[in-house]
Amino acid sequence: MLSSALRRLPPTALACIGVLVALALLALAGPWLSAYAPEHPDWNALSAAPSFAHGHWLGTDAIGRDTFVRALYGLRLSLLLGFGATAIALVIGLAYGASAGYLGGRSERWMMRGLDVLSALPFLLIVILLLTLFERSLWLLLAAIGGYVWIDLARVMRAEAARLREQPFVLAARAAGASTLQILRWHVVPNLLGLALVYASLLAAQAILVESFLGFLGLSIDQPSAGLGTLLQEGTQELDSAPWTLLVPAILLVVTLACFQQLGDALRDWLDVRGAANTPDGSAHEPASATIPATSA
Amino acid sequence: MEESLLALRDLRVTVAGATTPLLGPLDLDVAAGECLAIVGESGAGKSLTTLALLGLLPPQLRASGSLRVEGRDVALGSREHITLRGGTLAWVPQDALAALHPLRSVGAQLRETLRHAGVVREALRAEALALLERVELPAADALLARYPHELSGGQRQRVCIALALATKPRCLLADEPTSALDPRVGRGILNLLDALRRDLGLALLLVSHDLPLVATLAQRVLVLHRGQCVETGTTARVFTAPSAPYTRELLAAEHLDSAPPVQSGVLLLSANDLAVRYPRATRDALAPTTIALHRGECLALVGESGSGKSTLARAVLRLLRTPTRGRITLDGVDIGALGPRALRPMRRRIGVVFQDPFASLDPRQTAARIIAEPLRIHGIGDAAQQRERARELMRTVGLDANSLDRYPHQFSGGQCQRIAIARALATDPDLLVCDEAVSALDARSRAAILQLLARLKIERGLALLFITHDLDAARALADRIAVMQDGEIVETGEASAVLSAPQHPYTRELLAARLMSDDSRALAAS
Repeated sequence: MLSSALRRLPPTALACIGVLVALALLALAGPWLSAYAPEHPDWNALSAAPSFAHGHWLGTDAIGRDTFVRALYGLRLSLLLGFGATAIALVIGLAYGASAGYLGGRSERWMMRGLDVLSALPFLLIVILLLTLFERSLWLLLAAIGGYVWIDLARVMRAEAARLREQPFVLAARAAGASTLQILRWHVVPNLLGLALVYASLLAAQAILVESFLGFLGLSIDQPSAGLGTLLQEGTQELDSAPWTLLVPAILLVVTLACFQQLGDALRDWLDVRGAANTPDGSAHEPASATIPATSA
Repeated sequence: MEESLLALRDLRVTVAGATTPLLGPLDLDVAAGECLAIVGESGAGKSLTTLALLGLLPPQLRASGSLRVEGRDVALGSREHITLRGGTLAWVPQDALAALHPLRSVGAQLRETLRHAGVVREALRAEALALLERVELPAADALLARYPHELSGGQRQRVCIALALATKPRCLLADEPTSALDPRVGRGILNLLDALRRDLGLALLLVSHDLPLVATLAQRVLVLHRGQCVETGTTARVFTAPSAPYTRELLAAEHLDSAPPVQSGVLLLSANDLAVRYPRATRDALAPTTIALHRGECLALVGESGSGKSTLARAVLRLLRTPTRGRITLDGVDIGALGPRALRPMRRRIGVVFQDPFASLDPRQTAARIIAEPLRIHGIGDAAQQRERARELMRTVGLDANSLDRYPHQFSGGQCQRIAIARALATDPDLLVCDEAVSALDARSRAAILQLLARLKIERGLALLFITHDLDAARALADRIAVMQDGEIVETGEASAVLSAPQHPYTRELLAARLMSDDSRALAAS
């Protein structure tokens, strides 16, 4: 079932998924390929250039740490934080947006005003404040990033839930006596899930970017573990002596972000077209009327 | 036989790469001043035919065949063919609102098309006014400055016809021009098309699934079924002596026998002075209205869209988010006054079926889950019992119980409506509210669903509140009819009495709007 769903995806999306899976596997398994540990300095090779001869394939930094292994550990941390924060954002955004959209009326208005207030706050400043005030931990970082990126998702979910609210199948459930919670669980959330997952890949890009940004400011998880942002910051210090320490994490970050962004865009377009082609006009079996809106859109 | 204005031979439409055609082979002729109707169910290929004629097929479809227009051969898809549309060929769309540019005034859209037709700038306004008068739109001057959303459905369709006439076409292709309109307005549009055909000598190609309409308008009929022409001939011949079995089936589906009246005398549902006003509206969507429905009886609410029928139904179902005034009682319980929690058990006793069969079913659930939903809501039985009940209900509504695990998109429209009915019946209700439940279906499915409802009514002693704009459907099912206009019931009485001797002028108008179907019946009987 999953494989048939994959086959129907547009080629761009498939390519992006392929690259991302490869990157994730590399981040997980890659460090085993190298003989070096990420934090262990090799005093015999300080600021060594990339070479196969001494086993530091992508070179080392000023204190002799292996760039290849360190970058992959960084990618691992960035991906972990990105996915974790996205999962948090997905849960909050979906629940909040679905409830606001389905409830409608006054509660919807207040919930959306709440979102407006949140997005008006200088969120990054607050995150930075939190991270400087409290002891930095993985969980705090996850909560901070997840709490930052869910707002847009909630808006999209609200609009779609408001459309679902007036659908006859939801009315029929209400007429049969279903409670608000039942309708949300059985009809609204399952029908939002596809759209939410598409937006999740855009969110993942945003979450990874925010994490790298915090890392670049030195606000991510404490050393010795380092995300891509932290590595970039270190790399800028050694731009003259060891440019590879900047280039490697930079390329990894760019490829990761571009893939998530492309994937999200491709999936969104694909979903839009399918949505237009399935307009319920009572003649979904008429090939002409079913394909025209898709092609003219 | 004189040379046809438009002659199409051996038209085939194929999906790129496929061998069997979606449509055809199909031959088709229309002479000037003649109306040819293409009839068939949805999916028969009617729209494909018009799109192929206009050269507007989607890129993944290929058309082959030979086309002769005004005695000249035109290669399908050639430059010459493309320039025919907006010239010799003009198209009248089904959905006028979607076909008009929403952000440009009627005048601007007319002037644009007229300029395309080569009218000089100075004459544009006069020509635009003449076109609007030609399509019998009054106050044409004021209309030029209006936008599509400010017009009524009928006015929009007339504007579309005016646009089609702007290029002085010889042939009009009208694709279901009235199916989005109320019967009364639709009849006006058809009269206009007929007048244009006679006065301007236009060839009219009318695509429709509405047989009564075709009978009064077309000289010749072409019956399409699954992309094949099963029968063609003069209207009188096809309607009186159909040769193809499929045509006979189609014609039979149009005849709906009227129901024998039922009277139990036990009051089930009553609404007293029920009224609804939407927020920020200046008048009531539903003026204080009183209805009564007895056990085992069918009350049809008839009226055009916007007359308040659906508002009344939703008020009775307590589905409106707006507070209502007045009293609603079900079996003596004042359900209008109950809070959400107290209302829940009462909901078991009312089932509901909506218009759009596909939108009525959650696309992500299987038939079994959809049908058993009311049982899960009310906690009746365990999972196995619920599934067994769903299986039983599938059989009750005439579906194959083996398709329990299929999803809605794997069923046809009529089958989806049966699933919706099965869901409505899951809790053994006393009352079934049908909001335009057969309006979105083609003639054969409509007849079958009406039969099913009539059977359920008798077998289960089910009371029906049947909301429709289709007087034929009302006649087939209703014991009593209430006619609504502008949020009020203007006439109510025994179905036979209302239909044979209408008292209110509005009821007479409604009946006149469907006189056509009587004409066709007379034609078929002669």
